[in-house]
Amino acid sequence: MTWRRLVWRNLFRHPLRAIFTTLAVALAIFLVCAVLTLPAALATILERSASNVRISVHHKAGLTYWLPFAYVARVRNIPGVAGVNHFSWFGGIYDEPKNLFPNFAIDPDTVDDVWPDYGIPAETLARFRAVRNGCLVGNATMERFGWRIGQEITLRGTIFPVNLTFRIVGVIPPGVGNPYVLWFHRKYLEEAMEERGGFGNVGMIWIRAERPEDVDRIMASVDALFRNSEAEVASETEKAFIGSFFGSMQAMIRVILAVGFLCVGAVVLIAANTSAMGIRERVPEIAIMKSLGFPRRAILLALVAESTTQALLGGLLGAGGAWGILGALAAAGKTGASAFLGPLGSFRMSPEIAGQGVLIALAVGLVAGFVPAWNGARLPVVEALRKLF
Amino acid sequence: MPIPVAYNVRNLLVRRWTSAFSAGGIALVVAATMLLAALVGGLQRMLVATGEPDNWVVLRKGATNDGSSQVPREAAQAIRTLPGIARGADGQPLASPELVNQPFMVTREGGRENVLVRGVEPVAFAVHRSLRIVEGRMFQPKLGEVVIGTGIARRYAGARLGSSIEFGRRHWRVVGVFDSGGTSFDSEIWADVADVQDDTRRQGYSGVRVTLAPEADPAAFVHRVESDGRFTLEATPELAYYEEQAESANTLYVLVLTLAIVMGTGALFGALNTMYAAVAARTPEIGTLRALGFPRRAILVSFLTESLMLAAAGLVGGAALAALAVWSINTLLAGVQFAMMTFSVATVLLHISPGGALLGTTIAVAIGVLGGLAPAWHAARLRVVDALHRA
Repeated sequence: MTWRRLVWRNLFRHPLRAIFTTLAVALAIFLVCAVLTLPAALATILERSASNVRISVHHKAGLTYWLPFAYVARVRNIPGVAGVNHFSWFGGIYDEPKNLFPNFAIDPDTVDDVWPDYGIPAETLARFRAVRNGCLVGNATMERFGWRIGQEITLRGTIFPVNLTFRIVGVIPPGVGNPYVLWFHRKYLEEAMEERGGFGNVGMIWIRAERPEDVDRIMASVDALFRNSEAEVASETEKAFIGSFFGSMQAMIRVILAVGFLCVGAVVLIAANTSAMGIRERVPEIAIMKSLGFPRRAILLALVAESTTQALLGGLLGAGGAWGILGALAAAGKTGASAFLGPLGSFRMSPEIAGQGVLIALAVGLVAGFVPAWNGARLPVVEALRKLF
Repeated sequence: MPIPVAYNVRNLLVRRWTSAFSAGGIALVVAATMLLAALVGGLQRMLVATGEPDNWVVLRKGATNDGSSQVPREAAQAIRTLPGIARGADGQPLASPELVNQPFMVTREGGRENVLVRGVEPVAFAVHRSLRIVEGRMFQPKLGEVVIGTGIARRYAGARLGSSIEFGRRHWRVVGVFDSGGTSFDSEIWADVADVQDDTRRQGYSGVRVTLAPEADPAAFVHRVESDGRFTLEATPELAYYEEQAESANTLYVLVLTLAIVMGTGALFGALNTMYAAVAARTPEIGTLRALGFPRRAILVSFLTESLMLAAAGLVGGAALAALAVWSINTLLAGVQFAMMTFSVATVLLHISPGGALLGTTIAVAIGVLGGLAPAWHAARLRVVDALHRA
């Protein structure tokens, strides 16, 4: 019998026990993978969709404070600025009040200057510029409401005292861009507001810097430009801007991670118990192996390999299951947490998380198997044999 | 005659590491479940506690929360004069026009969050009856004075009685701290509505909160609000309004149940292993007991008892661990933040609700029963001859 075969045979000496333990490990790893996915998804969003060369300029006091629209023209002249666009939160509701999603009035002429990474086709942008009431919609919102290109939709204003009807002229492709957002012409909103006192403000200005090394200088110039004015501004990179939203999720993430660690702890105890039981029952056998001349180290190795193999099987099963189930959920669009989390709404488990899950399982097997195996391997031969006869 | 419980206790003590590990596994699972349930419990407690049954929220039609609603001054005036509104001690209608703003504030950890600032008139404290000033005093109008909720005091840098805090376009003086019994108002700053209008350069309000008179017909009130052709308004019961803010609670609830079931199953496997091993190791003993005249049923009950004792130990340990975790999160981290339907953040203290405690207990008992039943059944069905043969 080869060494490997010995481990394998011992593993399934009690098939039921082996199955129970493997499943317990698998379930824990499944949960750990699911739990690790949330913080990892946040990090991925920052990594992938938030740009380092895009600068957000907003009122120093908060996002609910308007900036004068004239600011947009003034930041354009700062050297090193490749493009300027802006957001004004319209807050329109489609059909039902609970159908809340982000919709912004923007400048249709400079979309590609500021968001070239969104990959919106040139003909779509041309159509957007040409249609006065045209709008671009993220793919997730298109799917959610079953909209199609060419359709006319009406958004009811809750902040602005107007309802606006848009024609959908194109889709913001999935990937980098916010899949929930709706963009429309600022001019269209201005015209609608003409009879109601006009609209001369802007919510946020977006600047794209020509080169990354210019970013700090541009931000300093923007802040200096409006210092001691009616509306002082704060600028920050898109990465910092989005990151600040995640700051308040830290406590929640800590709780969720704590829950994950408790699960891993539970499964370590369960697996340790199983391997201790297995070794206790095998005391006479170990003694015979030792008396036949097998070195202590070989026995220790065989025992640890056994618990590790078992945990590894469980880990593969759990990580694979998490991969499959979370993937299916994401495909079905069931993990959409909130429209404001952007791409987080369609999070998928990354291969790294699956790898981490398997590694955690390996560690569980090592930790759970080592102490019982050590005790087993150190058994004095005479005493062990006495138990047998 | 039943087998004495002392027999079980001694058996558990003889195999103390195995017993401790099994109970420990159950304890960790119970702790994980109860901790997550405490997260939901805290959120639910906050949202259930928020709002009065006879209060109505009047907002711009279609607005889901007062952070995204604008109501002109004339509309607020018109609402005040509607019939059916209760009257305060001074004879004035209990209609509170409010302007909600969400400026940045810096947390103690140095992060930046949107905080909900509610500009109110004195009548607000008669409409929102859960609020009590616990430190300091009420703000005075037009002096830039504010009162802060207990959650604000815990979370933001420098937010304490007597200090000056910075948000919006100016500095504000904290003259009081209020407690609303764990409602979401505790995560708000209240200021004079004229000060907030000045700071945000906005006229008008976000909405009006109204207390209806006991004899008033709510349907008639809603009809009057919504049929006024000059404005597009909508009235919602305050309780329903806060329930809607809690959709994330439902998602979390599913998460907790999933975790409880999945991890409970894992711990169940652990318990099954332990109990099967216990039966296997004690087969000769079982034979002896049967030979002494103990009936099958006594064997079954005895092993089930043993399994339940393990589960009970796990439950006690797990509950203690969960309580410790909840206490440390509440005191050291000052609670957990939830994003609200507005863009601001509410701080919630974790809370092990009766439902959460019941969930933990159910898991432990289920593990005890299910983990013990099959092995106990197996033990009870052993033939005396076979069992003794193994001795």
